[in-house]
Amino acid sequence: MSGDTSTTPGPTEHRRSLARSFGAVPQESGLVVFLVLLGLWFTLGSEFFLTGNNLRNILLSVSVLGILAAPSTLLLISGNFDLSIGSAAALCGVAFGMVAESHSLGLAILAAVGVGLAAGVGNGLLVAYFGISSLIVTLGTLSVFRGVAQLRSNGQTTRLDTFRWLGSGEVLGVPVQIGLFVIVVVVFGLVMRYTTFGRSVFAIGSSQQAARLAGIRIRPTLFALFVLSGLLAALAGLILSSQLRAASPNTASGLELSVVAAVILGGASLNGGRGTIVGTVLGVLILGTLNNGLTILSISSFWQEVARGLVLILAVGLDQVRLRLRGD
Amino acid sequence: MSGLRKSFGGVEVLHGVDLTVTGGRVLALLGENGAGKSTAIKVLTGDYRADDGTITVDGEAVDIRSPRVARDLGFRVIYQEFSDAPDLTVAENIALGALPTKGGAVQWRAVRNRAVDVLRQLDVNLDPRQTVGELGVAERQILEIARAMAGSARLLVLDEPTSALSAEEVERLFAFVRRLRDQGVAIVYITHRLDEVDALADDVVVFRDGNVAAAGPAAGFDRAGLIASMIGRQLQEEIAELRATDRHDVNATPALQLDGASLDGVFEGVGLVARAGEITAVFGRVGCGAVELAEAMFGLRSLSAGTIIVQGDRRQPRSPAEAIRRGVGFVPPDRKLQGLLVGLSVADNLSVASWSRLARGGVLRPSVVERVWNRWRDVLSIVARRGARQDVATLSGGNQQKAVLGRWLERDSAVLVLVEPTRGVDVGARAEIYRVLEGLAQRGIAVIAVSSDIEEVIRLADTVHVMLQGHLVATYTRPDIDRGALISAASADSAAAAAPQD
Repeated sequence: MSGDTSTTPGPTEHRRSLARSFGAVPQESGLVVFLVLLGLWFTLGSEFFLTGNNLRNILLSVSVLGILAAPSTLLLISGNFDLSIGSAAALCGVAFGMVAESHSLGLAILAAVGVGLAAGVGNGLLVAYFGISSLIVTLGTLSVFRGVAQLRSNGQTTRLDTFRWLGSGEVLGVPVQIGLFVIVVVVFGLVMRYTTFGRSVFAIGSSQQAARLAGIRIRPTLFALFVLSGLLAALAGLILSSQLRAASPNTASGLELSVVAAVILGGASLNGGRGTIVGTVLGVLILGTLNNGLTILSISSFWQEVARGLVLILAVGLDQVRLRLRGD
Repeated sequence: MSGLRKSFGGVEVLHGVDLTVTGGRVLALLGENGAGKSTAIKVLTGDYRADDGTITVDGEAVDIRSPRVARDLGFRVIYQEFSDAPDLTVAENIALGALPTKGGAVQWRAVRNRAVDVLRQLDVNLDPRQTVGELGVAERQILEIARAMAGSARLLVLDEPTSALSAEEVERLFAFVRRLRDQGVAIVYITHRLDEVDALADDVVVFRDGNVAAAGPAAGFDRAGLIASMIGRQLQEEIAELRATDRHDVNATPALQLDGASLDGVFEGVGLVARAGEITAVFGRVGCGAVELAEAMFGLRSLSAGTIIVQGDRRQPRSPAEAIRRGVGFVPPDRKLQGLLVGLSVADNLSVASWSRLARGGVLRPSVVERVWNRWRDVLSIVARRGARQDVATLSGGNQQKAVLGRWLERDSAVLVLVEPTRGVDVGARAEIYRVLEGLAQRGIAVIAVSSDIEEVIRLADTVHVMLQGHLVATYTRPDIDRGALISAASADSAAAAAPQD
């Protein structure tokens, strides 16, 4: 198009350029503003919100969500879902509890990781090598893993008293699970930006066909994504068991939906190819802050669910408007 | 419409454009990508509102506030993408959005009758009961127009309708457009192709940089004049220029060789040699099997018989990744879907095929990727104002294609297979891409171009193989490449005459 910008802007021009500058704002800054406003509102509403202790509580409450959201961000960028992570985490917890009853802690942890690995391999094989839609595969395994967890544990909760460090320990004053959340997120951020694997995921999400024609090996990449997701589900399962001091087949039920909500809130596109780890972290924090603040304001948990849903729709709706203004 | 102005974000893209369309005439609207053609059309359809200027219909000023107003005025636009429902029948598609019902139940008889009426009125020979997905591309295109014309249409805009059609299909479409014209419809025909102007247009308007660069009856223009007004530079000489150097050298090493290559039901017994430093073209109509042949060279299809020899290696490549490792690069026909990584940067797009080489232990440093951009931006003269990190989707078609091409330069491919290398690329950029391809050949790359565009083949090839119904039927070598010979070799009639078939 022509580069003629010398014309004096009329009123419509102004409106347009305003609209355009809104379009040029990066996604993340909008989320930061939203998070700050949310925090401001809760701070004004209750003296108990903005305290060191409460902020720590928020972080504690979202650590597991964040650990699962990291691989899910990459999966969504590649154009895939893993809805089985909540169930896989529960299954890993149950495996851990069963082995821990009669064997050493180390062996129990190994069992949990093994189960997570197997879950990821199963999902990965079906999606990457058998070509079944990830939505269908993981919707299936969501049910299968949960069912197996119930079967193996007879629906019973196993008490665990010896394994508390992961769920409530601290290192240098930082709770272990918050530390793990930070490490996972940072590692995933680096992988996404600085490795062939990470860049390949973006390429696949942009156009699987184009990525293939450029020599990217689609199947191993997708397979690895599901394996990663399974391994982090194992970590999540271990943290949850340690935190609850019990291995229950019912833990983390519905968690997959919060994870998907956080990732989408963070700006990852359902069509793939687009998403950032910073956005996902902000999405996770917004969900955590919302739950925490509404609880402090003693708003009914039913309303909390309504609010969570509305925030998701609002954020994604605004993002659509932003993209349209940018002319994409 | 007159004095039309339109800006986006402070950048004016239409600087006071005049356009007059007359009933019963075909107006060809020409211009490079970005000249303002689509913007002007979108003002007509109510998708955009002009900042200034007037639109009059039959002497009366109209205000096209919304697409609805445009529709009520009888304006119809056919875009390149189909908007039909491929799983429904022709009749249902014609009635789509206005299914006749009685008490909530669809009146199937009325649907049928209406379709028969519409098709008869437009003199279209389609079976109303057929599923649309089973139709040929030209038939779907015609159906698309028929759907738009149902109701009272007086202005029909066709946006590059022939880009996916074979020569015979183009003829059928043209015949249909001429019938519509003779029924008094005003037609605006947007195109890149000058031969279509000759074949169809009564009037011509050329847009350049948001202005009308030339306008008048088609008879008053020749091709050179049209090209000159479209690109505004003296590029036309270069486009018309025949290749000065003759690179054909029978002693050069074969980089890729096919021996009796067959793919059941698609092509059979194809033998050809592509040498380093040469441009080899495979010319044929859409559906002749040349595209599938190119795909087989890149490991996308496996041969049912025969061999592909890549740089002396007789093993058939079984996947694109393997073909790339063996030194073959591929530029697919559908740039948006198969070539570009939209949302990724130009630098990423240039380097993607070499990521595994550029990385150290799986780590790919952004500075390394940016160096790839610096390496090729001038060689390929890629214009990306925001540099290495600019989203490739925001580049023009020609620059996008160069980014896809450049991928294989970075990868150091010995053989480059291209399918329709300039589809959807405007005239100016087309000449540049030809120059780039010649540059590649001079670097010692074996370039294989599969094309159904005769001008392209004549302009580009050292050797042309003509493909017809899955067979190589003729081979010409520069300087003996002759337009007439190519056309007759590639058309079915001559084949039927030469070898009568069952």
